[in-house]
Amino acid sequence: MGKKITINPVTRLEGHGKIDIFLNDNGDVEDAYFQVTELRGFEKFCIGRPAEEMPRIVPNICGVCPTPHNMASTKALDHIYGVAPTPTAKLVRKLQYNANYIEDHYIHFFFLGGPDFVVGPDANPAERNILGVINKVGLDIAKKVIDVRKRTRDIIRLIASKPAHPEGGLPGGVPRGIKEEERKPIIETANLCVEFAQFALQLFKDAVLGNKTYLDLILGEPYNLKTYYMAIVDEYNKQNYYEGMIRVIDPNGKEVAFFHPRDYIDYIGEWIEPWTYIRLTYLRKLGWKGLIEGDDTSLYRVGPLARFNVADGMATPLAQKEYEYMASVVGKPAHHTLAYHWARLIEALQAAEDMQKIANDPLLTSKDIRNMNFQFTGKGIGCVEACRGVLIHDYETDDRGLISKVNLIVATQHNAAPISLSVKKAAQAFIKGGEVKEGMLNMAEMAFRAYDPCLGCATHTLPGKMPLVINIHDYTGNVIKTISRGA
Amino acid sequence: MKNFIKKHHLTPRPLEPYKLSDKTQTNRMDNRTLIIGLGNTILSDDGAGILVAREIKNRCQGLPNLDVVEASLGGIGLLDLMAGYERVIIVDSIKTDESNPGEIYRLSVEDLGDTSSYPCGPHFLDVRTAIELGKTLGYTMPETIDIFAISIKDNTTFSETLTPEVEKSIPELVTVIIEDCGLTK
Repeated sequence: MGKKITINPVTRLEGHGKIDIFLNDNGDVEDAYFQVTELRGFEKFCIGRPAEEMPRIVPNICGVCPTPHNMASTKALDHIYGVAPTPTAKLVRKLQYNANYIEDHYIHFFFLGGPDFVVGPDANPAERNILGVINKVGLDIAKKVIDVRKRTRDIIRLIASKPAHPEGGLPGGVPRGIKEEERKPIIETANLCVEFAQFALQLFKDAVLGNKTYLDLILGEPYNLKTYYMAIVDEYNKQNYYEGMIRVIDPNGKEVAFFHPRDYIDYIGEWIEPWTYIRLTYLRKLGWKGLIEGDDTSLYRVGPLARFNVADGMATPLAQKEYEYMASVVGKPAHHTLAYHWARLIEALQAAEDMQKIANDPLLTSKDIRNMNFQFTGKGIGCVEACRGVLIHDYETDDRGLISKVNLIVATQHNAAPISLSVKKAAQAFIKGGEVKEGMLNMAEMAFRAYDPCLGCATHTLPGKMPLVINIHDYTGNVIKTISRGA
Repeated sequence: MKNFIKKHHLTPRPLEPYKLSDKTQTNRMDNRTLIIGLGNTILSDDGAGILVAREIKNRCQGLPNLDVVEASLGGIGLLDLMAGYERVIIVDSIKTDESNPGEIYRLSVEDLGDTSSYPCGPHFLDVRTAIELGKTLGYTMPETIDIFAISIKDNTTFSETLTPEVEKSIPELVTVIIEDCGLTK
């Protein structure tokens, strides 16, 4: 029997939410680098497996985005088998996907991003968490959050067997349709989600926009980052999370690229830097220009703020009104990183409205859930808007349908370089002449929390936290201060 | 094709119709114990907790009032699983600088640190905060929570194979849990 221990959190910080800040010889911030855990050998793991296994494998590579990975993989299978899902199958997939959006966005807002504002950016970290949010907004609201989460996860479970790591995913269809007797509770859940989405937006307006200090923080320079933006849009250039064309706008809002996701390789470049395991992405046609912002950058951002900037509007009426209001406050394109939170809540409303529409669609309960008219291609690219941004799965198979090549481009990969820049700007406001002001850790955390980056994909090893450590280096590279949280 | 398709994946699961959430979390299931095997079986040693739980399930078949589940979840997902049980036993992997791969640990919830620390993501809500959240929400939380763990070496390489030191410890931890927790008929 081993000894009983109290875990020292510093022992497992390496690679988890690590930020290195480098000062120049004046003691001011020169650079900041954001790092995540490296997971090795995924392509090797997949090679030789039947392509049909991929939708079941990929949800296990990420503890944060299992449903988007499952959906992108399923769409890649559609491509490999040269088959489109039936109209009913597409409705069922979108029902599952909307349920994921609603659940994921609220977990982020109420558990992660919300505490910064609802409890306060300067609040004691002991209270700046979900328990602090409950103290502020009341127990009934917390119960509603949990109820919405449970109901939406039940929908994912119904369609794909398991909500955390979906097991469904068939080329040309879905493993299970919706029965007519299931329609009524799905409609009730959709109605509840629309109602709750409106409440959450009102809470944001009251608690955040109604507080001048917070609004100034959102609109302030430390949280402003001028980049390009990339997102999927539908045929009307409105937001779509399941399918569409990829549109890219420049820092001034002008469209500079519009392409089918299957052509991603012509537009998205991957770059290797010595300080990170992540292959950083950039706009290939502009070339790699380093970690810079502004008109000369080739970096782009993805996720809720990018979708807000790239799309001409929302695809549903209530969300559209909220979109217009947000645009009137933050402008467009909005470069305010903390506005990710606001855009996220509007997206949850669109997902809920879309769920309402699907729930009432007569086609939803049709038994025509599978298109088996396969025309094998041996190559498949599937793309969705994960909650955190554009997600691409690219597979090749041999003539037996066994995987021979895999490439994934995930949201945190697109955002990794901008996250570093965002942390750098926040740190610049709090480190001057080598002096680290109180609150720097909070401000740096807020910068990257807005993106909701995936950190330790699918690792659940105790103590069960993903701590953050910030190392501050002097101009010679020596660590002069370490700040950590996660104890 | 490697040995990826496990039998439990191939067993058809009965699909229950979608219904609105009930409130069973507030009901106590007296004398009922839940074992949760935590981890990811495609990330090398990260799957150790799940493998231990599977073996306990095999050896304790027919034991009344015992449920065994496998999960790749963070704290809030654990809340869903734990609520209502009188006793919960969590089996996971652990990684520290002080331990050697294969060493076995028994921990309390308090050993995991307090809720004042702030995780980097909501998806990684720690066990202790999840329990506090459950209590705050009025859920019936377990009276006893035991945590067992195997110290691991590699949880960042995609593989279904454990490192030898960790694999050797699996039967030992299975026995420790069965004996220490009285999981005998």
